Formats: sequence, structure tokens, C-alpha cells
Amino acid sequence: MTDTADTAEGIAITVNGQAVEARTGELLIDACERNGVYIPRFCYHPRMTPVGMCRMCLVEVDTGRGAALQPSCMLTCAPDMVVETESDLTKKAQDGVLEFLLINHPLDCPICDKGGECPLQDQTMAYGPGESRFVEEKRHYEKPIPINDNVYLDRERCILCDRCTRFAKEVAGDPLIHFQGRGNGTEVNTFPDEPFASYFSGNTVQICPVGALTAKPYRFKARPWDLEEVESTATIDSVGSRIVIQSSRNKVLRYLGVDSDAVNWGWLGDRERFSFEALNSELRLTEPLIASGEGHRVTTWSAALGAAADAIAKTPASRVAAIGGARLTNEAQYVWAKLLKDVIGTDHVDAQLGDGLPADLVLGLPRATIADACRPGGTIVLCGPDPKESLGALYLRLRHAVIEDGATLIELTPRSTGLSALAAHTLHPRPGELGALARALVAGTTDDVAGVSGAAIGAAHQAIAAGGPVTVLLGRASAAESAAVVAEAAAALSNIDDVGFLSTLTRGNVHGALDMGLAPGLLPGRQRLGAGIPRGWTSVPSETGLDSTGILTAAVAGEVDALILLGADPLRDFPDRHLAEQAFDAVDTVVAVDTLPTDSVAAADIVLAAAATTEVAGTFTNLEGRLSALAQKVTPPGTARPDWIIAAELALALGGDLAIQSLDDVWTELAAMSPVHAAIDPAAAAERDGVLVTGTIDYTPVEQGELPAKDAYALRLVSVRAMYDQGSSLAASPSSAGLHREPVLALHAADFEKLGVSAGDEVSVTSARGGVTLAVQSDPGVPRGSAVMVSHLGGPDPYDLIDTTTLVTEVLVERA
Amino acid sequence: MGVLDYLRGFRVTFDKLFEERVTTEYPEEKSPKPDRLHGRHVLNRYEDGMEKCIGCELCAGVCPAKCIYVRGQDNPLDEPVSPGERFGYIYEINYLRCIHCDLCVEACPTQAITETKLFEFSFTNRSDAIYTKDELLVGDDGLPQNLPWEDWRPGEDVATSAWMRATSPAGDADYVGTVGWSGELGYGVRAPEVGQFGEDPEPPAAEVDPVDEGGHH
Ligand code: SF4
Ligand code: SF4
Ligand code: SF4
Ligand code: FES
Repeated sequence: MTDTADTAEGIAITVNGQAVEARTGELLIDACERNGVYIPRFCYHPRMTPVGMCRMCLVEVDTGRGAALQPSCMLTCAPDMVVETESDLTKKAQDGVLEFLLINHPLDCPICDKGGECPLQDQTMAYGPGESRFVEEKRHYEKPIPINDNVYLDRERCILCDRCTRFAKEVAGDPLIHFQGRGNGTEVNTFPDEPFASYFSGNTVQICPVGALTAKPYRFKARPWDLEEVESTATIDSVGSRIVIQSSRNKVLRYLGVDSDAVNWGWLGDRERFSFEALNSELRLTEPLIASGEGHRVTTWSAALGAAADAIAKTPASRVAAIGGARLTNEAQYVWAKLLKDVIGTDHVDAQLGDGLPADLVLGLPRATIADACRPGGTIVLCGPDPKESLGALYLRLRHAVIEDGATLIELTPRSTGLSALAAHTLHPRPGELGALARALVAGTTDDVAGVSGAAIGAAHQAIAAGGPVTVLLGRASAAESAAVVAEAAAALSNIDDVGFLSTLTRGNVHGALDMGLAPGLLPGRQRLGAGIPRGWTSVPSETGLDSTGILTAAVAGEVDALILLGADPLRDFPDRHLAEQAFDAVDTVVAVDTLPTDSVAAADIVLAAAATTEVAGTFTNLEGRLSALAQKVTPPGTARPDWIIAAELALALGGDLAIQSLDDVWTELAAMSPVHAAIDPAAAAERDGVLVTGTIDYTPVEQGELPAKDAYALRLVSVRAMYDQGSSLAASPSSAGLHREPVLALHAADFEKLGVSAGDEVSVTSARGGVTLAVQSDPGVPRGSAVMVSHLGGPDPYDLIDTTTLVTEVLVERA
Repeated sequence: MGVLDYLRGFRVTFDKLFEERVTTEYPEEKSPKPDRLHGRHVLNRYEDGMEKCIGCELCAGVCPAKCIYVRGQDNPLDEPVSPGERFGYIYEINYLRCIHCDLCVEACPTQAITETKLFEFSFTNRSDAIYTKDELLVGDDGLPQNLPWEDWRPGEDVATSAWMRATSPAGDADYVGTVGWSGELGYGVRAPEVGQFGEDPEPPAAEVDPVDEGGHH
């Protein structure tokens, strides 16, 4: 399915007496399935190399030398093949294979999580022997052994199909489960004392054709016949992987990956897969709250909305600001944008939390899709966060592109990433000097730039200059480096011929937020403020507003009285925590619209409980600008409400009327006012691959400005995100909480001597903003002069050090 | 039409006056129930007291009235509830819906659920009609519990799994009389009934005597 593009040239074969057209290079098992003849299989998976392990797909094939049984997953269609999938010989083979597989398979279907949806059960019913002739004792192993925090392995059930091991090695690149032993003693297992530590381990549970691998979060929660399901989109990161949401008794119990050719190919990262747990958390906000004494008390919606409206109404529009919105659906983002920019009249609106990019870079530069980036033979320039840590499903696609499809990867990152081992050229500029490096790369300089050797730059330049499509993955690799640095690099890279940019902003529906105008200076539909009053609106703000950093800085200066948080937690999640804390102290009223009790919710005056992702219908926009459908599967807890209804009610409480009664009204308005959405049929978004929203805004390159001279004793801070942190939604998911790594300061070994520290020492790291103490570690992936910290949103955190108003943050490291 | 014609009209009535009566003083007096009558369920235990139910939900899946609610859970290793990895954590049957078809009994892989002969339900509220696991489980004596609103008669609460004992594995006549079931608390492994094919054997030879023939009464 993956590698066989539609080719005009067909191959004529005969399947069960019918003439069938196969594609060039197509496997027989696929050709038959495409033509309505299903051949049973266990080991074959369309997204992985066929291995012919299980023999379930044996069919009778005559290629001119007489009929013989051949595994159809290992056989490429050839002209004039005559195939029998239902002949007596084929049936005898299927029957025999199943009898063999069942020899050692324990019949514990009643307690097995796979029971009811098990390919081995189903195929035994359809093709297998009715009775067993095996009366001897079966092989026994210790019943389920945990192979990591979320996956159990029951070796008795394994049929040695090699799917999990192939996935781990081929797809995820974490070859930590293997076959061991021989013959009857062959078993799948991890290495002793080494868990299957992979961000993608949940996929093995989904593809295991038996119940040998099961997921702890779903263990014994339900049986397949309890589950209702609906196809939807994962919203925890901006890839927008397609999923099915499965629930029972109004509770979401499982996400499964769905094979969308354009996006995730069926794979999910574990964080995505198990993120539903936070939605079921006991901690969920279920009622509106209002500050009372030290804490909050439950109140009614009319009281809470009334209090919020009062606070906003008495404040001049220029002193109202809103941060957040990436959690919301596109429709809710539109309604909130209309409320903020039309009814309230403020442009101090930003969906990003100071760790993103200006909208111009995302919407102004020529955009590329994931498929563009992964084109066979293309060049990928990684100029953003580590996809392995931030955008799991994208990482798997990129890995495949480099390994299988010959794409060339050039890394322009402040430190090594999960893809470094595959990169043809790895260039780590000093923080703040990315723009200079990008210019040198495009121009082909052979001088050393930004701490990178001229030879390395020259070699990478050759790869770009060789021609062919180039895709830049553009994002904020480090929150300690200003977005202006990335903007400067993007300006340089935009001069490459045939270049496209794939945004790697990571937060959920942040790209939807940009399209819906939740950014300063923008209106819904990728339009700039100043383009006039859109149809259906009555007014727009007169001046371009501030971004998150600007809003918080203004708040500290006493220029913001009411702050609205749309699912944002600046106190924990804003890179400059010091600034956020001061801003919260200075603002009169904080209104938080959220699903979980974050630090910022605890500090808010009015809390409006919102419905979460599986509780609302709507659409999602992924990092490509692809619109896909979100389905409602369960009802919100308590009286929590969808975000768009909260906005509409708040508008009414403010004496305005958004004239939006339903999600259809949103689309009617969007079609009328948005040039980029006018031609889009929202029903098309319901298709598996969704629909791309195209259209850019004008782009003017900006310069980053003068970089201050580096203090000889200081290091420049690099702040990166990891897959698992202590953010509120992961903390509320039992299977993901606690998976974050120990915080360390990573330095190049050469910097140790200069600082007089050695690996393992506790060091104090201080910046102009504050200080933290943690252990230091040597890391060859960190360039000299840089100090890398992972933001875990808890514990010693770079967010206690960062000053977002400067280009780079310098830190002093001393032995504590 | 004379007086005689009038009396002749009462002939049947007079005849019946002297016949033996077939009505009983229900509910004080009840007629004997057939062995395989389908009544309220019990959840059985093994001889060692472990619960037979493994929370597999097959009964819930097969139930045409959708009146069973089961959820499994990981068996606590230190204090297992049932043998194996999983046990029935929640088990509820709604008797406002159950049609006593016994499909659940057929579906159960462990013979955990069987039916007694108690069929007279009267509840004063709906939640009483939903029997929970605590109510369905047999007591420490292996006998069904006598819930306050239930009217059990002597002898009715023994042999509550008679149906199961009479059935051969897989419904295959070749196996009639072959023991293919596990022991039960209070009874041990019960002998098969011969059923339609022969004379009834001696009363089932129980390894452990049921506490007393009369059960609770
Ligand atoms: S554990 Fe499952 S996927 Fe892995 S080899 Fe065994 S049967 Fe296949
Ligand atoms: S007897 Fe029939 S209706 Fe009653 S619980 Fe069992 S399966 Fe359901
Ligand atoms: S009673 Fe039987 S069928 Fe029902 S859940 Fe328990 S073991 Fe499974
Ligand atoms: S599917 Fe072909 S051998 Fe397994």
C-alpha cells in the first residue's frame, strides 16, 4: 500500500478464476485484497517489510511451472499468475497452519484483552480446524511480564509473527524487543534489565495479532463488544494523527491509530495514545468556580459568567488580553476570536505561550505538507524542535523518509535530536546565531560560522545546492532563544529554490488558532487586521495588539486589568515564569477557561469549566494546515461546557450577540468572511485524510537585531521540551505521569574543565531571572558553550531562568 | 323451561364440588418446580471458596435482554479473588429485564453463573431489582443467599447448578456422563445426571455433604 504508487501499467493475473489487474511491484496479498479477495494473515502489515513468518497467507500459485503453495505476502505479482485462494490445497494449508499455531497458544480468550477482536480467534473460526488433536501439555511461561511502564507481554500467547519486533526496529528505531531462544523455546522478550523504553511502544499492542502484548491503561477495562467507537483526530500535539476513540458507558477507554495516508500511517506516539486518561481524571474541572478566601467555591454558570462579564465590561478594551486557545476546536477558536476582537474589541490575543513563532512565519512562507517533506529523494532541513520528543507521529514519518525513501536530512538544531543518527549533516549553531548559520548554509560559505566548521557548512550546502525539493521544518527548538532568531533563519532559508516550510509549532490546535485569528494583528481566515471589517462582524480592533510576552510585560507595567486564559497555564508553561508570576500579581481579574486545575487556574478569580477534546464536535487544523474532523464521543463531566458556548454566553452577558447558535453557523460565517475557507466544504474534513486549507498572507522578513557579546564565563541556555513532562494533562494521566526524566544540565565535556565541574556534580545555574540547582552531565550532542536543560514544567526548570524579552539567555554555571 | 332445566344447568358445578381440588393456597403452598426451571442466578465458588467468575463479560455479551453489567479487574496477587489474572469486579443483573433464557449460563466458560429455581420476584423499588455481585454470590456454605425479599422453600436452594451438571461439554452426546466441570463450594465435584438416556443414578455422590438438605430453613 505504501510503496506502490498508482502506476498506469497493470499486470494481468487470475485470482480464483477471475481476471484481476495488479499494479507493478504489488504484493499478491495486497492485489487480492484490493480486488475483494481477503487472504488471512498474521505477520504481514502493509506499513512494514514483509517477512513471511507466519505462513497463514499461503495460497496456491501457478506461475507456469505448476501450482504450488506460496506465501502471498512475499510474492510480487507477475504477469499471468494463476492464484487459488480457496482451493482444497489452500484450505488444508490454512487449517494446518492454524492447528500448529494453536498447539502452544493458551486458550485463555475469556481473560485476554484481545478476545473478541483477535485475528487469531477470528481466523481460527473462519479457516481453522474445529477441534484440537493436541492433548499434551502446552508450553508455559510466567504470565504477563511488564516490558515497560505501559505494556505487558504474555509470551504464552505469542505466535512469533515478528510484528512487534519489526516495528521496534524498522519503524520506531528502538530495537529493544527481540526473539530469543530457538525452536520450541523461541520467545519474544526484552534484554535483561532493559525495558522496552520506546515512545512508540503502544503501537506494538495495536498490531500484535494476538493478546501477547496488552496495554496497561486498557487492561481488563472492557471487552470489545462493550465499546462504541468513532473516528476522530488526536489533539495532544499538532500532527493531528487520525484515531478512533473507543468508549464504554460514557467513558473513553482507548485510542487506536487509524491509517491516514497523509498523516500518521496508523501509528501513534504513546503520549497521544494514552492521553485520554487525563480526560477521565478525577481532577477534571466540572463546575464553574469563583475565588473565595484562599481558594475557590463552586458557583452557577450565570454567576460565573456574570462576574466575568462585569470585570470585562468595566475595563477598557485595550486593557483586556487573552492568552491561549490551542486546546480549542477551530469553531471554538472562531467564536472566541469574534468575542475578543469584535464584541470586546481587544487585539491583545495570542494562542502561543512565548515558545512559538510569529504568525507571519507560519502563514506567510510557502507551506509544505508531511508528504512533501517525506518525498523520496527530497531534502529535509530540520530547524525546530526534536520531532521525536514533540511530534511523535511526524518523527516516524521522517524516519521512514530518510531510511527507506532516501531523503537527505540536514539538522540546524541547538543540540542533537532523535534524528541525529540519521542526519546527513548535523550543524549545531550557538544559541542566537541560527540566522547567521542559515545564511552561510544557503550561500555556501566555507568559513566557520556560529561555532560550526566551514567544512560542515560547505558539505551541507552541497546537498541543498544539488537541487530537488527542500522542506524546512520550522519551529522553536529552544524557548531560551527568541523567535526573532528563527525568523532570521527562515528569511535566509526562504531563498532556497523550490523550498517549502512545514511548521513544527507543537501545541495541539495552534495552527487552527492562527487560521482563526487568535494572534495579534490577525483575523479569522488568514487575514490581517486592517483589511476592513469582515462580513458578519460589527467592528475590529483599531490597533495591532501584543503577543503573550508583550501581554505579560504590559501586565507587569499595570496596563492589563483583565486577563482571559483559554486553556493556557502561563504560571507553569510560559518560558519566563518570573514574568508570568509578576503579571498575575498585577492583573485585577484572571478568567480561566480550562479542563484541569492548573497552577494558573488555582490563581484565577473566575474559572469556567470547559469540555475536553472527546466531548466536543468540530474540526482541527494540523501543522500542514490540514482540516480534519473531531467527533464527540462522550458527554462533558458535571456542567462543563464546550468552549464555543462559553464564548457565546459570555458575549450575551456582555450585552453583545455573536449571532452564532450552532457550529453550522460558524461555517456559514467563515465561508462568507474567510477567503481561505470559502471554498472548503466542512464535510470534506470528515474524510480520513481531511482537507488542506491553502492560502498565505504576505510575508516581510524581519531582522533579529544585534546579539549581545557573549560573556566569557557564561554559557548560553538551550531550553528544549521532552515527550513527557509534568504538565497538567500528563500529570493527570496515570500511565504518563512519572515518565519524565530526571532533570539534568547537559554540557559538552570540553566545558567541564573551564567550569571546574565534573559529571554528576550538583551545580547552580543562574541567570538574570533566577537560579536553579541540579546535576550536570556531559553530552556529546551539546555544542561547546551551550547549556541544555529540558523543561519538565516542574522541578529545576529552565523556565525559572529564561528572559523572553532578550534574544538569548545567558547562564552562569558553578559548583553548588 | 321448568325448574329441572334450571338445575341441570348447574350440573357441572355440582360435579366439581365432589372432585379432588387442584388449586393450591399460593403463596403459602407452592407446587414442586421442575429441576431445570430458570430462576434467579447465583454466582458459584470453587471448593476452596475462590470465585469462579473471571469477569470475562461473555454472559453480558450474549444476554439478549442486555441486563448484565460486568467489569473485570486485575486480580490482587496477595489476595486473589478468583484463580488467574482477572476477576469479576462488578457483576450486576437487572431482574426487571432478565427473561431467564439462560444464555448467560451457556456462555460462561467457568460455570460461574447458573440459575436457581427462585422465580418469584417482587420488589418495592427498582434498585432492589438490580442484583449485585454481593447478592448473587453463594454464601460460605455454598448455598444461595436468602435476601430479605426472597421466599425460598425448603430444598429449593440446593442443586442450584443442576442444569449445568446435566449438560455435556459442547453439547456432544458422546460426552454424556463425562465429568467436564469443576468442583463447587459445599459440593465438590458433582456426579452427572443420567438424564433422558437411562435411570437416574443414586443421589449425586458429593465429596462434601451439603450443609443440610433444607438449606436455610
Ligand atoms: S508478541 Fe505479538 S506481535 Fe510480537 S511476535 Fe508475538 S504475536 Fe507477534
Ligand atoms: S437468563 Fe437470559 S436474559 Fe437473563 S441474564 Fe441470562 S442471558 Fe440475560
Ligand atoms: S459469569 Fe461467567 S461468563 Fe459471566 S463474566 Fe463471569 S466468568 Fe464470564
Ligand atoms: S502473512 Fe504471509 S507469512 Fe505471515
